[in-house]
Amino acid sequence: MQLMKQDLDLKKITAGAGGNAIKSSPGEKLFAAFNYAFFILMGMTTMLPFINLLAKSLSSEQAVVSGRVGLFPIGIQFETYYYVLQDSMFLTSLRTSVLLTVIGTALSLFMTTITAYPLSKTRLRGRKWLLLMFVFTMLFSGGLIPTYLLMQNLNLVNTLPVLFLPAMVNVFNMLIIKNYFEGLPESLEESAKLDGAGNIRILIHIILPLSLPVLATIALFFAVAFWNDYFAAMIYITNPELKPLQLYLKELIVSSGGEFLKNNVDAAINMTPQSIQASSILLATIPILLVYPFLQKYFVKGVLVGSVKG
Amino acid sequence: MKPEKDKPQAGTGKKAYMPTLARDIRKEWDLYLLLIPGILFILLFKYTPMYGIIIAFKDFNIFTGFADSPWVGWKHFEKLFTSPDFSRVFQNTVIISLLKIIILFPLPIVIALMLNEMKNMMFKRSVQTVIYLPHFLSWVIVSGLFIDLLSVNGGLVNKLLNSMGMESVAFFLDNSVFRSVLVTSAGWKETGWSTIVYLAAFSMIDPALYEAAKIDGASKWKQLWHITLPGIAPIIILMFILRLGNILEAGTEQILVMYNPVVYKVSDVIGTYVYRQGLGNQDYSFTTAVGLFEAVISFTLVVVGNSLSKKYLQRGIW
Repeated sequence: MQLMKQDLDLKKITAGAGGNAIKSSPGEKLFAAFNYAFFILMGMTTMLPFINLLAKSLSSEQAVVSGRVGLFPIGIQFETYYYVLQDSMFLTSLRTSVLLTVIGTALSLFMTTITAYPLSKTRLRGRKWLLLMFVFTMLFSGGLIPTYLLMQNLNLVNTLPVLFLPAMVNVFNMLIIKNYFEGLPESLEESAKLDGAGNIRILIHIILPLSLPVLATIALFFAVAFWNDYFAAMIYITNPELKPLQLYLKELIVSSGGEFLKNNVDAAINMTPQSIQASSILLATIPILLVYPFLQKYFVKGVLVGSVKG
Repeated sequence: MKPEKDKPQAGTGKKAYMPTLARDIRKEWDLYLLLIPGILFILLFKYTPMYGIIIAFKDFNIFTGFADSPWVGWKHFEKLFTSPDFSRVFQNTVIISLLKIIILFPLPIVIALMLNEMKNMMFKRSVQTVIYLPHFLSWVIVSGLFIDLLSVNGGLVNKLLNSMGMESVAFFLDNSVFRSVLVTSAGWKETGWSTIVYLAAFSMIDPALYEAAKIDGASKWKQLWHITLPGIAPIIILMFILRLGNILEAGTEQILVMYNPVVYKVSDVIGTYVYRQGLGNQDYSFTTAVGLFEAVISFTLVVVGNSLSKKYLQRGIW
């Protein structure tokens, strides 16, 4: 049934695409076949590492150690997940990451939006210079060491805010939102102005509801960036209580799981470092896999609008 | 919020000097108000570190501080240009970047072109969903995936090599192949996502051009060569300028999770060197000089590239 429906959709689409449905030459058919084959291969290459890792995380110790596990688990067990999920270091860093992602995304989206709005107004005096001031920070930066010393002077080292404060005004994302705002029709604003609404009210009640696709896209970008960041944490955080998940994972991978097994004697007897790593990595990927499909349709649209003009 | 309400009044004080500016600010005071937090933020977190660059010309010491550390002029830059360490790091950076540009820059263009020819929309969208995904994974995760995939003990790639009668390769410990690991994993992560810009560019091409070409009997190849490629050429060039500006950023975040002392020789780049030398060994002034060297070159490349693009293509990044 589903196949048939798919076929029908396909016909509709190809018919709708106008001239494309015209009889294709043998060369074109060959190309189309190659095209399909190529993308199936590319899709498989993308997914393969995950499948391999999943298989390792679910396989028995002997199978993993002897290197027999390929794409399918051998001697299925779920204990690695159990061990990882009850490890206090894993849970602490998971909590830090969730906290960082939620707070960071909310604040950054707010800051970036309120900065983008005035800059999207061509009537704003000094707009050119203000924009230049922001764009310049994309082209030139003080570099790692001066930035680190600044954080140290601000007493932000080893605090959670150091992981989101400096990232709050992201100029690249700001420009995408700004371009989107510029694309909205002026007339929307004019009628509200006649009713005596100020700029901030117009932003909240008229502009923002119309900008959900781009805001969702940028929220996704921020959330992913905060969730994935290990670099800032590696530089600024030494307190184990404040290490986000990615930094925890990095240390787990660098120590080949040795740290984990030292802290979990019980796990050390039954588990291989490889499976511990595999399951930890997969657990850290799940949130992204969960959010991603829902937002995908937004960001394809949203980014397209922003990036081409930018 | 209340004190800011006084802002427009503060503006009126300047009325005598700049009447229109004051009037504009008063009229749109709420727009300027919205800008204040953003400006304060970049002043503090972006511009203050730029001021901090002065320590590249000082012998900075945490205990004496920014102001009191002695000036040393170009000392750190002289060291930079004579240090064998730095010349190795600089070479690695440029080689890895060039490898990435030569191999990974054209790839998304080709793939976008192929994707654009895909008639089955459902299939196309599924492909897009899958190939965009790795972009959203952290380098830590990607590194974990590749360490596993390329492991000597049961990694899929080595299994494949063995089954073809070849010997296992220790990809992460072998100076002759480690750079290809870097390029391949970067390609795996970003190629799909990079197609998005070109796919967007296709949608900007006027469909009437294709209709006309078809009526004239132009083949698919001719259409590609005379309509599609010229249509996206400006975007390709812009992306290339941006990419070139980043030539001294060879992928610090990637390399920091993937390399190890065995392969430092071929993979230690400016970013990783600054991190280890600067924060690890607290060699603040010298590594700030290294960072400044990188920043100035990148800045120059982008600015020159952009003005060339504006001159010859009437289109720039800004």
